[in-house]
Amino acid sequence: MPVKEISLDALRQRLPQLLSHGQRQLAKLPFRFRESQLGATITRWVSWRMVAAAVLLGGIVHIGATFIAALSATGQAYRQLADRLPPNSMTVLPLQAPGRQILPFLPPDMLYAMCRYDLSGGSVAVSAGVLDAGWALSLHTPDGRNLYVLPGQPQRRVDVSFVIVPTGPDAPPPPRRESPADTQIASPTLDGVAILRAPIRGLAWMAETEAVLRTARCTPVN
Amino acid sequence: MSRFKKVLLNLALLIGIALGGGLASAWYMIEAGSRLSTRSFGPWVTWPSAGRPEADPYTRAHVARNAELPLSSTAELTFRAKTDNRGAWLTSGCDYAVVMEEFDPVWWDLAVYDLQGRLAPNAADRHAFNSSTVMRDIDGRTVITVARDARPGNWLPSGRGNRVVLVLTIQDANMANAIHTGASPRSMPEIVRTGCR
Repeated sequence: MPVKEISLDALRQRLPQLLSHGQRQLAKLPFRFRESQLGATITRWVSWRMVAAAVLLGGIVHIGATFIAALSATGQAYRQLADRLPPNSMTVLPLQAPGRQILPFLPPDMLYAMCRYDLSGGSVAVSAGVLDAGWALSLHTPDGRNLYVLPGQPQRRVDVSFVIVPTGPDAPPPPRRESPADTQIASPTLDGVAILRAPIRGLAWMAETEAVLRTARCTPVN
Repeated sequence: MSRFKKVLLNLALLIGIALGGGLASAWYMIEAGSRLSTRSFGPWVTWPSAGRPEADPYTRAHVARNAELPLSSTAELTFRAKTDNRGAWLTSGCDYAVVMEEFDPVWWDLAVYDLQGRLAPNAADRHAFNSSTVMRDIDGRTVITVARDARPGNWLPSGRGNRVVLVLTIQDANMANAIHTGASPRSMPEIVRTGCR
């Protein structure tokens, strides 16, 4: 739709015309608020300080409700996954179907391998192959933050391995690095989920895709 | 009106505005979003901070309430459309053509759900198309028909429920980064209603 620009001067010139138009429209209303008994009662008895207080309190309720919604629902996705995933082990999940979804709104034409990592006993090593565009390896905290993501590149296989290490005062000490090239990813929480996602290009590729997902590893570091 | 009635009226107003207004506005900002937390391109709406550590409280609440585990928007973006290009709700009672012209991200996926994010049962057992599985016209244009009953070409069954949601996932670091920094994509798919029964 084209947007017509209007200048302030033009608006100022048209203001009386707009006001009289507004008055005409108000006069057409069957219920004239200010002249009604209810309207008169409300304007006489309602304390405008109370209205201002209500608006202020409404703002506080708004902020409180937003934070409560974020905190009370935190981990809802993680909790749904935790029930079906053994800790520190990569599991290839069956293809999603109506009534058998992993999570709501999760793309259904993909295969997923997931690992619920638990760092309370120490670090966890993750290795996987990311084959093509659409593939992705990602780490998520229980509250939905995405710690790490490796998106796939078109027709270029990338094999990746890293160690998830706990951070914070209660965290166990990180493992000794086997080599300086070992990538360590610091997790602010002691648990979370690693997800390897592979789009299904067609039925003919299903077995091949699943075989690649089955090579992914998620194991505690001794 | 007695003083007691006056106090009652004021109290009712206080509770009504504070609770009703506060809760309703919070619900709207979390479920539908606003320009503070979302970006819209036609009917497509995305929450660009989803999954990021610095996400605003509305985005965090939206992600948590919908049980999502989004990828960071630096790598991928997810768009939802609840209406067609003319602003009418998407329903399984109507047919839609999702037209992709000059839409060329590295990879994309288009899926159809009900409002709660559930897949609709259908005889074809099809719930999505992605850039590897879709059929393109010879001019490179792609048309996906979202309809209850079978249609020729790229038919995406919309089930037999009522309202539906289209979810478009785009994996393209350049596009994601551009959108995150305030730019607009060159082109987004159009959702055109082609008929209703």
